[in-house]
Amino acid sequence: MGETEISVEHVTMEFIRERDESTSLKEFLIKAAKGQRKRERLRALDDVSFSVDKGEVVGIIGTNGSGKSTLLKIISGALRPTFGRVAVDRSRVQLLTLGTGFDLELTGRENVYLNGAIIGYTKEFIDENYEKIVRFAELEGFMGEKVRNYSSGMVSRLGFAIATVREAPEILILDEVLSVGDLFFRQKSEARIKEMIGGGSTVLIVSHSTPVIRSNCTKAIWIEKGKLRCQGDPRQVCQAYEEMGRKR
Amino acid sequence: MSREKVKQYTFLIRQLTAREIRRKYARSYLGILWSVLNPLLSMAVLSLIFSRMFRRSIENYPIYYLTGYLVWQTFTAATVSSMSTLADNKTLLLKVRFPMELFILARVYTAMVNLAYSLLAYGVMLAVFRVRPRPALLLAPAVFLLLFLFALGISYLLSAACVFFGDVKHLYTVLLTLWMYCSAIFYPVSQLEGIMRRVVEHNPLYLYIDCLRGLVMEGRLPTPLASAQMFLWAAGAYLAGTAVFRRKRDRMIQKL
Repeated sequence: MGETEISVEHVTMEFIRERDESTSLKEFLIKAAKGQRKRERLRALDDVSFSVDKGEVVGIIGTNGSGKSTLLKIISGALRPTFGRVAVDRSRVQLLTLGTGFDLELTGRENVYLNGAIIGYTKEFIDENYEKIVRFAELEGFMGEKVRNYSSGMVSRLGFAIATVREAPEILILDEVLSVGDLFFRQKSEARIKEMIGGGSTVLIVSHSTPVIRSNCTKAIWIEKGKLRCQGDPRQVCQAYEEMGRKR
Repeated sequence: MSREKVKQYTFLIRQLTAREIRRKYARSYLGILWSVLNPLLSMAVLSLIFSRMFRRSIENYPIYYLTGYLVWQTFTAATVSSMSTLADNKTLLLKVRFPMELFILARVYTAMVNLAYSLLAYGVMLAVFRVRPRPALLLAPAVFLLLFLFALGISYLLSAACVFFGDVKHLYTVLLTLWMYCSAIFYPVSQLEGIMRRVVEHNPLYLYIDCLRGLVMEGRLPTPLASAQMFLWAAGAYLAGTAVFRRKRDRMIQKL
């Protein structure tokens, strides 16, 4: 057992929702005046606890709407949990999701700088690694073009290349990233992830594709309807998950 | 805050601002030149129509108008573009670690950069209309700084309100029209009487406009009362904006 890198302790996330919430000021005032503001609690995560050790590759599976994304947002620090706590060094967490942070009107080159700035790279760092990013994304000759004209595969390759260019060991969260791109790029990105794991990175992979989890992870966590269903060996967890899928 | 952080944030704000400006002129041939041309064209049109009408009460109508227009344009550009910032950058906000405020700051800053370009046109026009530069002009940057803080505070408030109520946007457009007419941009205040005049004279934007006109056109310094008012509006808007933003941060993210 290595040292614990991420520790999620009894995390519960509740969203306070108003039933047929007012989307306009007028509605809001009318309802407030009539005392009709019904509130409802929506439990997105219910007492979830687990821990991730340094160097582990943990896969999180679950159907759509099961609370996976909420969990990621809590780990990365965008959301604060209602109860419980997450112990993790946030300055090293990096969340990689697809298609975020790109501006279609800008060129590939401009987007590398914009996106890099957003995920916390310095200008010098991007200057130094620019060529490397372009080469990894296989986009030589396209960088002067607007991202609007890119194919979705090209966009995700660029996103992946920017996010993974950093060498320092850190905590990387991949949100449905590995199951895109053509076969060759997928192999390449999986190889890169493996490389990062070898360099000591801790990786959290979120996916609803069980093959991705089976072939990459050392541990799997299954979340269903906000509850932790089971965790442990990826093969067993994936099997249980697939069985539930068949029963439905 | 550490120096590294400040450096990183500065880099980010630069990138975001560059993006806004590139986007704004993405499909235009003249690009950023429009920031220079726009005020000039607008000045030409308004002068054509009103300069005879207000001949007696305003000495140098084009400059009078242009000064008001620049301040007004900067303020509206900043606040209107900020209002939708959070919705526009929804996906990003959920993935990044730094304060959401930076996105709004970047938009207000964009408006200020635009203003800087427009000031080029303004400088040329001052020369064309033979307005002598006076020592009082040195105070102009201070007015712009206060304007920036005021716009920033209002932007915080509006963008937060916009997350909860989509129609703030439409309401604000109406309010802006009213506000514009109350800012004496293209007519002299002396034409107003009674309550309306008092409203205009205490309107923060009018205070900034009037102060700038005084500095540029007459070398007149603002009165102590006006200075205090300008300062208080800027500080008040800024503090209220940041306070609301901090308090509602979690709710806003949930809502997004």
